[in-house]
Amino acid sequence: MSNFSSIAYYIPELILVILILSVIVIDLIPSLQDLKFPVAFIGLGLLALALNLSHGVKASIFMDLIVVDPFSHFFKWIFVLATASILLVSRYSVEVEEENHVEYISLMLMILLGLFLMASSTNLLMIYLAIELVSIPSYILAGMKKNDRASNEASLKYVIFGSFASGLMLFGLSWLYGISGSTNILDIHAALLTNGNQFLVYMSLMMIMVGFGYKISMAPFHYWTPDVYEGSPTPVTAFFSIGPKAAGFAILIRVLYTIFTNDGSLNATSPLYDVNWTLIFAVLAAITMTIGNFLALHQENVKRLLAFSSISHVGFMLIAFTVIGTEALTALLFYLVIYFFMTLSAFIIAIFIKNKLDTDTIDGWKGLAIRNPLISAFMVISLVSLAGLPPTAGFVGKFYLLAVLFRAKTFYWLAVVAILNSIVSLYYYFKIIKSMYFLNEEEEVSSEPLEVNPYVKWTAILFSAQTLLFYFYWTPLIEFINRSLSFWNS
Amino acid sequence: MYLNYSPIIIYTILAIIMVVVPLFIQSLISPKHNKGGSKLTSYECGEVPEGSAWVKFNVRFYVIALIFIIFDVEVVFMFPWAVVFQELGLLAFVEMLIFLLILLVGFAYVWVKGDLGWVKMKMKYAHGRYSKLSIKEEV
Repeated sequence: MSNFSSIAYYIPELILVILILSVIVIDLIPSLQDLKFPVAFIGLGLLALALNLSHGVKASIFMDLIVVDPFSHFFKWIFVLATASILLVSRYSVEVEEENHVEYISLMLMILLGLFLMASSTNLLMIYLAIELVSIPSYILAGMKKNDRASNEASLKYVIFGSFASGLMLFGLSWLYGISGSTNILDIHAALLTNGNQFLVYMSLMMIMVGFGYKISMAPFHYWTPDVYEGSPTPVTAFFSIGPKAAGFAILIRVLYTIFTNDGSLNATSPLYDVNWTLIFAVLAAITMTIGNFLALHQENVKRLLAFSSISHVGFMLIAFTVIGTEALTALLFYLVIYFFMTLSAFIIAIFIKNKLDTDTIDGWKGLAIRNPLISAFMVISLVSLAGLPPTAGFVGKFYLLAVLFRAKTFYWLAVVAILNSIVSLYYYFKIIKSMYFLNEEEEVSSEPLEVNPYVKWTAILFSAQTLLFYFYWTPLIEFINRSLSFWNS
Repeated sequence: MYLNYSPIIIYTILAIIMVVVPLFIQSLISPKHNKGGSKLTSYECGEVPEGSAWVKFNVRFYVIALIFIIFDVEVVFMFPWAVVFQELGLLAFVEMLIFLLILLVGFAYVWVKGDLGWVKMKMKYAHGRYSKLSIKEEV
């Protein structure tokens, strides 16, 4: 489709671009400065409206650089929800200073634009540009606390790991271009079917997985995660734990299923010739979840613990790549939605504690059950869900993922590793619950009530309530995911 | 199909030879003694080298450099646009205006926030990070 007629399909992104510019302009006019957050929310509301109107549209726009399809649409909803809730909570966070608010909002919205493009690009160059558009504002957001050494360290580590990973990924992409002569992933698949070489395809797949694996913090490219999560301001950490990760999965699914399968679409049943990437992902999933869980065991810092927990959840989600087929993808997207709700609610409560008590450590949460019973109860729900126990949606998500393995009758050892890992994870999630609810006899903690800002409280409650809701009634969600599982060309 | 890549390997081999061979030759023919004195100083086209090149630059240069790069790139985009402007017509003109507008927002941001001032002074619309700023009277 030509550039000019593409614009009709590009309205959500255009709204976003105008929103970014208007937030910056509003901050420059002294009398309008207090309107930054309201304008951002109105803009995101318009964006959601435009997104809702474009439901079910399939088109390849801007000369096949990006596409609009139900698959990217599904991810765009996750990104918008994540950004809106994080912005709502950040307004009341002490870690984001008032004087940096405009930079904070506009960088957050720029990342949102990058995430939109990541979920919908079908061209190698566009994929790289979208990933960089997400990464570069992320580096700045990680270092938002300018006078905090941990934050500076987080930012620098993120830059170094990020540039190295994207360098390797770019090299892999150039190999793909070299063996196929095209940067469009559909053309690449067609070229590889007629004329390809297994070794070259393997090499490019490996190097591309460095870049994508870094974005979703898959082992062995997870090293940046704990330090960046710990040093960044907590709202930013919460955003990192869901936004870029979901986009990483989106782009991983799109590239793997379009280039590296026999069919080149979501109907694929086996890998491209004998490039056995299902086995690679099985091994990586096992390593990722084991590393995440075992390193989380001894963490005393809640943000660091949640960072390792997010690594182990990524390991769980990687199980879906060991089986090729739409069933596996349904399970993956379902788990992603549930992960979004449970991890975000846990982080929002962590932001609240950080605001009130200025502490990150598990010990700092002592006696929270007395000081604010409501928030503690919902934290317990989120943590139980993260551990994957009934009656929460975390259990349903894990059940779906493991069912994929058993139905395909492959990789039984991976299912065993996953179940053992779930048991290990109970220990560290319950360490937080223990700190909130149980005190030793000689310990004295303050019992004065902690007031919660209503916006923060209701965001946390709404999000953790979803984990209960989806345990009892998840059919609409599964139906929505099944409708979303379709690329623009199918 | 590997033959298509033969220029790359030839190029790689040549590159290695071009580095190794001159080094080897110069180690053969260069004098083994009398290496001290001015022979070890850096060559600056005949001038006597003065001081180290590692001097401190004022940190304020980086803001200027950053802004310079943005407007430099802007002009780079405008040259090809200007060359084919007549064929593209009104649409291209509007597109370039939008492009300039986006850059101008950045420029306004830098200006209002006071990052263009070489000597930081109290600003008319001082707020945010510069609100506590006041002029230091120099004697």
